[in-house]
Amino acid sequence: MNAMVSDSMSSITIGSPEYAQVLDWLYREARLLDRGDFAAWLALMTPDIDYQMPTRSSVLPNDGSGFHPEFGLFSENYSSLSTRVKRLQTDQAWAEQPRSRTRHFIANVLVDRDACGAYHSTSSVLVTRLRSNRPMDLFSTERRDVLRTHDGALKLASRKILLDHTVLDAHNISIFF
Amino acid sequence: MQTGQLAQPVPQIANRLRDNTDLQELVSEGKAHISRRVYVDPEIFELEQERLFRKTWMFLAHESELPGKGDYVTRNLAGEPVVVVRGDDGVVRAFLNSCRHRGMRLCRADNGHMSTIRCPYHGWTYSKTGKLLSVFAPDLYDAAHLRKEALGLISVARLESYKGLVFGSWNEQVPKLEDYLGNMRFYLDLFVGRTDGGTEVVGIPQVWEVSTNWKFPTDNFTGDNFHLYSTHGSAVQLGLLPPDPMSLSFGHLIRAEGGHVLHVVPGPPDPAFEYFGLPRELIPHLQRNLSPAQLALARRYAFSVGTVFPNLSFMQVLIQGDRESPPSPFLSFRFWEPIGPTKTRVWSYLFIDKEASPEYRQASYETYVRTFGPSGIYEQDDLENWEECTRVNMGKVAQRYGLHHGMGAHLDPDKSFPGPGDAWAGSYGERTQLAFYGEWQRWLTQPQPWVRQ
Repeated sequence: MNAMVSDSMSSITIGSPEYAQVLDWLYREARLLDRGDFAAWLALMTPDIDYQMPTRSSVLPNDGSGFHPEFGLFSENYSSLSTRVKRLQTDQAWAEQPRSRTRHFIANVLVDRDACGAYHSTSSVLVTRLRSNRPMDLFSTERRDVLRTHDGALKLASRKILLDHTVLDAHNISIFF
Repeated sequence: MQTGQLAQPVPQIANRLRDNTDLQELVSEGKAHISRRVYVDPEIFELEQERLFRKTWMFLAHESELPGKGDYVTRNLAGEPVVVVRGDDGVVRAFLNSCRHRGMRLCRADNGHMSTIRCPYHGWTYSKTGKLLSVFAPDLYDAAHLRKEALGLISVARLESYKGLVFGSWNEQVPKLEDYLGNMRFYLDLFVGRTDGGTEVVGIPQVWEVSTNWKFPTDNFTGDNFHLYSTHGSAVQLGLLPPDPMSLSFGHLIRAEGGHVLHVVPGPPDPAFEYFGLPRELIPHLQRNLSPAQLALARRYAFSVGTVFPNLSFMQVLIQGDRESPPSPFLSFRFWEPIGPTKTRVWSYLFIDKEASPEYRQASYETYVRTFGPSGIYEQDDLENWEECTRVNMGKVAQRYGLHHGMGAHLDPDKSFPGPGDAWAGSYGERTQLAFYGEWQRWLTQPQPWVRQ
């Protein structure tokens, strides 16, 4: 994964109004996911949303981070995210019936602004998932988001979910990150 | 028993569990009955390790995962770590991933590149062919007690590949891989032997652990097509599957030799669904690489799911990845690695024909990742099923009652089917499951199941 911050980026000070705006967006997005309001969540995406979760292997330091550049566990655009949301609205999406109970914990948020005014944030995101009476699933990730103003509101244009897991210890990924 | 009449005595093995249950009672092909214990019982899992996994061929890797000399991947063979490495001579070898000195795990990354294998613990160093090259402070040993030629890496007993699929076995006596695959090769070629360059792995396998017994996903991938309209009802509601619940029933269930099974299913009467929907520029490859009988079959079908006994499955399907994308074919291979009686590590690969265009490669990938694998809108629900089946079958009361596998079990094979093995008309049925469990029972109860009568 290449570093996203380049010379044309300006870093946004923690506690500034712009930082607060991004943080507010991230928290509100997480609340929609944890409350299961997926239709409202989908409305936060730009029409050209690029949503990726690369596969990862455990490799020696000289071989990099282990993330595969072109192969993942999610490779989504607006249509596929919308298909996933519609699926949850059917009455036969068994993996989410009963619904998983998730919690998105967001920390270590850093924000930069690019020359076009889009915000690039990196954050540590810990997602817990409980469903039925199964043991809790933990997903430990770094999220790299690009937020852009679209139709007068801040929307998610790109998200990379970088798992710390190489072997996922969860039977499925029926939730969003 | 009439073993006395045999020229060579066959070793006897105990065929009763500790509670005196006869292993023959666990599976009855004739009565289409399967005991729930086969999915959860630790004692049965131990027997599987001893009599099946350490005796048969198990999938290890695809040759394309090791493109260059010195490339390696680390895998498990019947629960023991192995390193699969391509030598300077281009030959792929596999060794127990363990130093002969203290047993330390040697290669600790999932994949990488090596010139030699050096143990992190005391520095014993091996070549890519497994020879012990050097030890730390050799002068401090009595030479007679350090015979390096006897301290090479422990080789996997047998390693062979079929059209890119690398298999290993801890059993010296297991038949040649080609013979083990038998007439299943006729069908495997439709997927891994159809194009000039064969297939390669896209990316790396998706790997995840599921609290299920390995036989549940395998059972599903023997060609269970009739779960689609209940398990994947959401896809029907989204318009991703045709509304008629019998629409995927018009194929055949095929029982090849040796417990290897599959189904083949036609799509709608439209040339776009012929040859599994592969891009038309690949069809001349099929014409060159397949026999006339294989080519005629390939032309008829859009979907096929099957299993190479015991736990390597494949799916060749033609579906939409989302509501707006056109259907695209993809080929996924699955290795259901048994970790414990109720724990399975899934290795899900996307394969692609090497000559595939970048556009087709991308479409195939996006379709696969959106529908199958842990996040796939189809497979999410399969995984939920396999875990819940496993959990419920742990119950001692539940175990008093066997499971029913009887769909189509009364039907006779369709003698007019042009491929090898026994084939039954209609792709909804449990003939392939019964064949799989029947073979599983042979391996658990016979001392030399690899010897075919």
